[in-house]
Amino acid sequence: MSVLEAPLLWFTIVAPTFIAILFQATVLGSLGPRVLAYVSSAILAIPLFLLAYKWLWGYNVLVDPLKLDLSRYNVGVIALVVDGFSAPLVVGVSLVTSLVAIYSLKYMEHRIWELEHGGLKVPGIYAYYILYNAFSSSMLGMLYSTNLISFFVFLELSLITSFLLIAYYGYGERLRIALMYFVWTHIGGALFLAGILFYGVNAGTFDILTVKEWALEYNKVYAGVKVEGLALIAPLLIILGLLVKMAVFGVHMWLPYAHAEAPTPVSALLSPNLIGIAGYALARFGLTLFPGFMESAKHYLVLIAFITIIYGGLVALRQDDFKRFLAYSSISQMGYILLGVSTLTTFGVAGAMLHYLSHAVGKAVLFMIAGVFIAEISGLRSISAMGGLARLYPTTAAMALIGFMHLVGMPPAFGMWSEMLILLGLSEAYYPGSLYDILLIAVAVIASFIVTAFYSFIAMRRIFFGRPKRGSPLEVMDEFKVSILIIALAGIILFLVVGLMIPQLRDSSLELLALGGLR
Amino acid sequence: MSGAYDPLMPWTLAWLAPYIGATVIALGWLLKVRSEKFYGYTSVLSILVSSLISTYAAYKVFSQAKPIYAGGDVVWVPWFNITLGTYFDGLSALMSLTVSWISLMIAIYSVKYMEGDWGYGRYFFFFSFFVGSMMLLVLADNLVLMFIGWEGTGLCSYALIGHWYTDEEDKWVGKPGRYVLGTQMFFEPSHSGVRAILFTRVGDLGFILGIAILYITTGSFNIIELASRAPEWMQTLASKGILAPLLLIFILGALAKSAQFPFHEWLVTAMTGPTPISALIHAATMVKAGIYLFLRITPILFTGALALKASPEVFSLVVSQLEHFFIIIALAGALTAFMLATMALVSDELKLILAYSTASQIGYMFLAAASAGLLVYTGAIETLVEGLVAGFSHLVSHAVFKASLFLIAGWLIHLAHSRFINDMGGYSTIKLTALALWLSGLSLSGIPPLSGFFTKEAVIHTAISANTLLGLAAIVTAGLTAAYTVRVIVRVLHLPPYSGHGKHKVEEAPISMLAPYLLLALASLAIGLLWPSMANIYSRMGLLTLSVGELVHLEAIVISGTTVLAVLVVLASIALIFLLYFTLKVNFPALLGRGGLYSALHNFLYDRWYINPLVYLSFVNGGAKLARSVEGVDINIDLLYHSATPSTGSLSAWSLRVLHRGRTDYYLALYLLSALVLLFLVLALMR
Repeated sequence: MSVLEAPLLWFTIVAPTFIAILFQATVLGSLGPRVLAYVSSAILAIPLFLLAYKWLWGYNVLVDPLKLDLSRYNVGVIALVVDGFSAPLVVGVSLVTSLVAIYSLKYMEHRIWELEHGGLKVPGIYAYYILYNAFSSSMLGMLYSTNLISFFVFLELSLITSFLLIAYYGYGERLRIALMYFVWTHIGGALFLAGILFYGVNAGTFDILTVKEWALEYNKVYAGVKVEGLALIAPLLIILGLLVKMAVFGVHMWLPYAHAEAPTPVSALLSPNLIGIAGYALARFGLTLFPGFMESAKHYLVLIAFITIIYGGLVALRQDDFKRFLAYSSISQMGYILLGVSTLTTFGVAGAMLHYLSHAVGKAVLFMIAGVFIAEISGLRSISAMGGLARLYPTTAAMALIGFMHLVGMPPAFGMWSEMLILLGLSEAYYPGSLYDILLIAVAVIASFIVTAFYSFIAMRRIFFGRPKRGSPLEVMDEFKVSILIIALAGIILFLVVGLMIPQLRDSSLELLALGGLR
Repeated sequence: MSGAYDPLMPWTLAWLAPYIGATVIALGWLLKVRSEKFYGYTSVLSILVSSLISTYAAYKVFSQAKPIYAGGDVVWVPWFNITLGTYFDGLSALMSLTVSWISLMIAIYSVKYMEGDWGYGRYFFFFSFFVGSMMLLVLADNLVLMFIGWEGTGLCSYALIGHWYTDEEDKWVGKPGRYVLGTQMFFEPSHSGVRAILFTRVGDLGFILGIAILYITTGSFNIIELASRAPEWMQTLASKGILAPLLLIFILGALAKSAQFPFHEWLVTAMTGPTPISALIHAATMVKAGIYLFLRITPILFTGALALKASPEVFSLVVSQLEHFFIIIALAGALTAFMLATMALVSDELKLILAYSTASQIGYMFLAAASAGLLVYTGAIETLVEGLVAGFSHLVSHAVFKASLFLIAGWLIHLAHSRFINDMGGYSTIKLTALALWLSGLSLSGIPPLSGFFTKEAVIHTAISANTLLGLAAIVTAGLTAAYTVRVIVRVLHLPPYSGHGKHKVEEAPISMLAPYLLLALASLAIGLLWPSMANIYSRMGLLTLSVGELVHLEAIVISGTTVLAVLVVLASIALIFLLYFTLKVNFPALLGRGGLYSALHNFLYDRWYINPLVYLSFVNGGAKLARSVEGVDINIDLLYHSATPSTGSLSAWSLRVLHRGRTDYYLALYLLSALVLLFLVLALMR
C-alpha cells in the first residue's frame, strides 16, 4: 500500500471541472479551448501514469492522504483509494476520458457550429468542457470510492452531467431522449439507493473498505447484517438497479437511444466507461453485501448474461446506424461482464474487471471512429451508405480492426485476457461432471461468443471493405485521429503488460470472495 | 530450477524476429515511409533471422539429442504462470525449420510478385506477423502462448485473404453469377476474408474453452507439464466420462484451422488473396497449425494412456474414450481427403484445385495420426511413432510441393490473365516452370522416387493397420489425387487453351520468382532420393519428441501388397487421364453442355457437394432470420416501455381527471357508489 504524498486523487476529481469553470468565467478563457482540452487531458491522465509508476515499483494500493471522517453521522469515512480490483477500471476511465478530451475539441466545435447553424442557441465549448470534465471526474470518483454514499453521490453527478450533455448537444429528438435517459437511469439509481440505505442503516456505516495503516481492509460489519424475509428486497433492489444501469436484456431499452444520439465524444464515455461501472459495483458490493443472495441468483444471472450477449449481438447485426450498432454491441458486451461476475469465482470476477478495460478501449476506439465519419463525411452514420472506406481511411480502418478485436477477444488485443479469464471462471463454476454438462457449456459458449465475432467482422466489411462508394478528402492524421490511435495502441500495450495488474487483481478478487464466504 | 533452462536468446528470436519485423513495418508506415524496398526487405530479413535460428536449433536438438527449452522461467502473466517459453523438441524443431524456410521462399517470391501493389506495406506487415504467429504457435511451451500465435494466424489470414478488399471482379473466386439453391457461389475478397475468420473462430472458441477446462482440471497451461501429468488428468476426465468430448471440443480449433469437414468451406474460398498468400496459408502456416496441434497432443494422449496400463480397468476406460475421440478424427480426415479430392477433379480454377488438394492432403495427415491413436489398445509405442512420423513427414512433403505448386500457379495466372485453367494451355515451352510443375505435381500424386510417394505410403500403411476401410479410403483418394493433378498439368502444359483467351506472351518468371519454386520442386526430388537418411532423421525425431522419447527404428519403406496396390491405382488413374486427354481427346466442355448424368455429377462436385448452400441455409440464413425476429422483439420491448407505458399513464391520468370536475353532485354519486361497493364487499366477506 502506498499513501500518496499529495492528494492527487482528489485533484483529478476536483481540478478538471474547476479549471474548466475558470476558462468559462475568467480571463483564462482567452487562452482558447485547445489549452483547456490539453490541460484537462493531462489531469485526467494522472491516474493512469500514477498506477503505471506504482505498479512498476510493486505497490498495489494507492491511497489519497485526504480523508473526511463522517462516522459521527454514521456515514463512515470518505476516502479515495485505488486497489487492485478497481485498477483496471481506473486505467480504462483515465485513458479514455483523457484522450476523448482532445478528440472532443474538433468534434464539438463542429457540433456546436452545426447546432448554431441550425438556428439554435447552445452553451459554448467551455460549458461543454465543464460538463465533460465533471462527468469524467465523477466516474473516477465512483471508482475511487470506499464508501457507498460517496459512490452514490458520484453516480448521481455522472448521471446529471451526462444527461445535460445529451440534452444540449445530442442528435435527433435529443430532449426526449435525454429525458428518457434521465428517467431510466434514475429508476436504477433510486433502486440502488434504497438498497444501500438498508445496509448502511443496519450496519451503522456505509464504508466498504477501511484504510488501515498498512493495508486496506474490507469492512466485515456487513457480515452481521441479516438478509432474510422482507429484507431480501434490499439486495433485489440493488441488483435490479445495477442491472438497469448495465442495460442487460429486458431493461436495456434506454441505452440504444441515449448512446446513439449523444454527441459522439459523450457516447465514447457512456458506452465504454459508464455502464460497465455498474458491473464493477455488482461485484464489489454484491459479493460482499449479499453473497448468499448472489449465490442463489447465480444461475439466473448467468442465464441473463448469455441471453444479453446473444440478444445484443443479434440486434446489433440488424442496425444500420453505426452508432446504434455500437450501442447494441455495448449491451452485448455488458453480458460478458455480467457473466464473469456471476460465476462467483476469482477468475470470473477478475475477468469481468479486465473485460471492462478491454471493452473501454475497444468501444472508445469504435465510437470515436463513428465520430470521424460524422464530422468529416457530412454526418455519415448509415452503414449501408458506407463501404470501401478503408481505401480513404486506411489508418482509421486499422484502428477499427483493433477495436473490434478487443470486442471479439482476439490477441494482440487486450480482450483476449478478459475472455480467457471469464471462460476460466465459467469452467470453474460449472465444471462439467458429465457428457451432458460439457456439451451444454460448449454450445452456450460457442453460440454466444461467436455472435460477437459475427457482428464485428461483418460490420468491418460493410463499413470499410468492398467497392468505395464515395470519394472524399483523404485521411489526415490530425490530433482528432491521433487520439484514437493512442487508445488503440494502448490496447495492444496493455495486452503485453497485463502481468503488471494481474497479481493485485487476483489478490483483491480473492479477498472479495473470501469475505463473502464464497471461497 | 532456472539453471535447467536455456538462455532466452537467441532462441526466442525464432518467433520474435518476424514480430519485430512486423512492428518495424507498422511503425514505418505510421511514419509515412512509402518505399516498397523497406517493407519487402524488412520482412524478408526478419524471416531469414527466424530461419537461421530454427536451423541452428534443429541442428543442436538433433546433435545433442536433447530438447532446447528457453525462457521457461520468464514469467509473463504471474497468476497462471504463463511463461515466454520457447520449446524445441524433435517435432517442433523440424516443424519450425519447415515453416520458416518455406515462408522465406515465399517472402522472396512476394517481393517481386507484389511490386506496384497498392497494399504493399500492409501485405508485408501481415506476412511477417503471420510467420511470427505460426512460429510462436509451433514453439510455445504453453497453451495460452500457443493460442496467441493461433489467433495471430487467423487474423493475418483474414487480412491477407481480403487483401484486395475493394473487390474487383478479377480477384473473385468462383464463377461470377453462379447461385446454387439460392446461395451465392462466388466470393469477393472481403467476403472470403470474413468467411475465413468466422469459420475458424467457431473452432477457436472450442479450443480456448477446452484450454480453460483443462486448466481448471490440472492447474497448468504448460504443455510439458501437461504431458508429464497426462495419466493423472486423463484418468480424472475419463472417470467423469468427459475425456472424449473435452478432447473433441479442444480439437475443434484444429479441425477448423486445418479446414477439415465440416469446416473446409473457408479454405476453398480463401483463393481471393494474392497467390503467394495461398502458398503461405497452404504450405507453411495456418492450415498446418491444426494438424500440428493434433500431432503435438497425440503422443501425449497415447503415452498418457500407456502409463495407466498397470490397472487394466482404468486403462480400458481411458482407451475406450480415446478410441471415440480418434475414430471421429480419423473419419473426419478420411472423409475430407476423399470429398475434397472429388471436388478437385472437376474444378476449373487453378488455385481452387490446389486448395481442394490441400484440405484433402491434410485429411491424410489427420488420418495417419488418428490411426496411430486408434491403435493405443495395442500398447505398442512403435505404432505411435509410425503414425506420428507418417503424419508429420507427409506434412513436410506437402509443404514443399504445395508451396511450389502455388508459386507456379501465381506465375501461370499472371501469364494467362485468368484464374481458369480452360484459359491456360501450351505452357510447356517454359521449360523450367514446366519441370517444376511436373516434379511437384508427381510428388503430390505419390510417384516414386519423389518425397510424396514415401510419405503417402506411410500414411496408407498406418491407416490400413488401424482399420481396413480407412486404408481403402486413403488408397482411393490417392488415385483421385493423381488423376486431378495430372489432369491440371496436362491441361495447362500440353494442351492448347479451350478459349482463345490465352494469346499472351509466354515467358519464364523473373529469377527471384522462378528460383523459389524451382528450388522447392527440386527439394521434393532431393528428399525423395535421400529418403533412407530422411527416414533416419524422422526416427530420431520420435526419440526427441515430447512424450515419446523412445528410439523406434523405422524402415525407410515397407513394400507390401498395399504399396503395390496404391501405386497401381495411382498409375492407373494417370493412364486414364492420358487416355481421356490424348487418345480419346474428349472435349469436356462440350460434354458438359449435353446434360445428363455426367453434367449432374459434375455439378454436384463442382458445387462442392452442396455443403456451402447447406451451411448457408441452415446457419447463416437461420442466424439472419433469428436476428430479424430478435429485432422484432426489441421493437416490441421499445413500444412497451416508451409507448404503451406512457400511454397507459396518460390514459389513466386522463380518466381520473374526468371524474374530478369540481361538481358536488358527481362527488356525491361517486361517494354513494363506492360506499355500496364497499358494503357488498364486506357482506361478501362476512358470509
